Amino acid sequence: MTAVLDWIALGCLLGGALLSFAAGVGLVRFPDLLSRMHTAAKPQILGLLLILVGIGLRMAPDPRVGILVLVALFQLLTVPVAAHIAGRAAYRTGRVRRDLLAIDELRDELAEDSGR
Amino acid sequence: MTTIPSGGSSSAVPAQRSWPRRLLGRLPTVLWLTAMWVILWGDPSPGTVIAGLLVGSACYSAAKLPHIPVRLGFRPLAALRLVAVIGYDLFASSAQVALHVLWRPHRTRGAIVAVPMRTDSDFLLAMLSGGLSLVTGSLVIELNRDQGVVYVHGIPIDSPEAAERLRRQVRRTEELFVRAFGTAEDLAEFERHAEPADGEDGGDRRPGGDS
Repeated sequence: MTAVLDWIALGCLLGGALLSFAAGVGLVRFPDLLSRMHTAAKPQILGLLLILVGIGLRMAPDPRVGILVLVALFQLLTVPVAAHIAGRAAYRTGRVRRDLLAIDELRDELAEDSGR
Repeated sequence: MTTIPSGGSSSAVPAQRSWPRRLLGRLPTVLWLTAMWVILWGDPSPGTVIAGLLVGSACYSAAKLPHIPVRLGFRPLAALRLVAVIGYDLFASSAQVALHVLWRPHRTRGAIVAVPMRTDSDFLLAMLSGGLSLVTGSLVIELNRDQGVVYVHGIPIDSPEAAERLRRQVRRTEELFVRAFGTAEDLAEFERHAEPADGEDGGDRRPGGDS
């Protein structure tokens, strides 16, 4: 039984490490801030969650597993907000590459606002 | 006639709420703070719990948090469905973004799409915009509170069909959130908005630009 759990934990840790790696590479390789925020908000969170699950499975009967749950919860609550704020600030200050946007329905809206 | 003993710090609180009720309203927050304290110590002994209660109450009174009437419903089945869908979407979107990172990051194009919301609850909109960032290809950039429109950035999008798919996905996530956490009024309002837009999905606010 413990062997099976160990293998599951191993899988989670490896998967989490891979996703975190992809998120890190994405930060470097994506061309603009908005796409970079996507890597920060998705593979990064899932990678962390998988690693936490892996660690949790290894130390299961220990009551300190609760801390891992808290870490996961607060990551899920705060990272989307941070991504949203960074994206918003980037857009408002013109740090967005227009050539990478196929459609931009926000530009017209803001233009209307400032024209008023 | 009961006189309400009002402390100097309670000027922001409406006077009609008597102090036992105010205390009751604070109880969940203090209990949650205590639970976190106990978890962080990793040791559920009575001493830790009492210390947690003291620290929690002290933090609460020091922060002077305003009383916000939270008007949310909760439907366990719908919430379970929401968690399942968001979880699945988190997996799907992580895999998708990771694939694009490794495969062709420089040709990944995005789009910012306006999606009119059918709900008008502050809490639901806040939860929704948090949840959307975890869903495939979407990241909330801007939220127009007056008109109830969210502006969502999505990758990878290179065709109007992909933009339409993103729009549909945002609206589906919205529906899941309203069904899980909306009050009965929220749900009624949501359905009222949803009815006429059934034929041409959100067609009233589509800009005429043909890029």
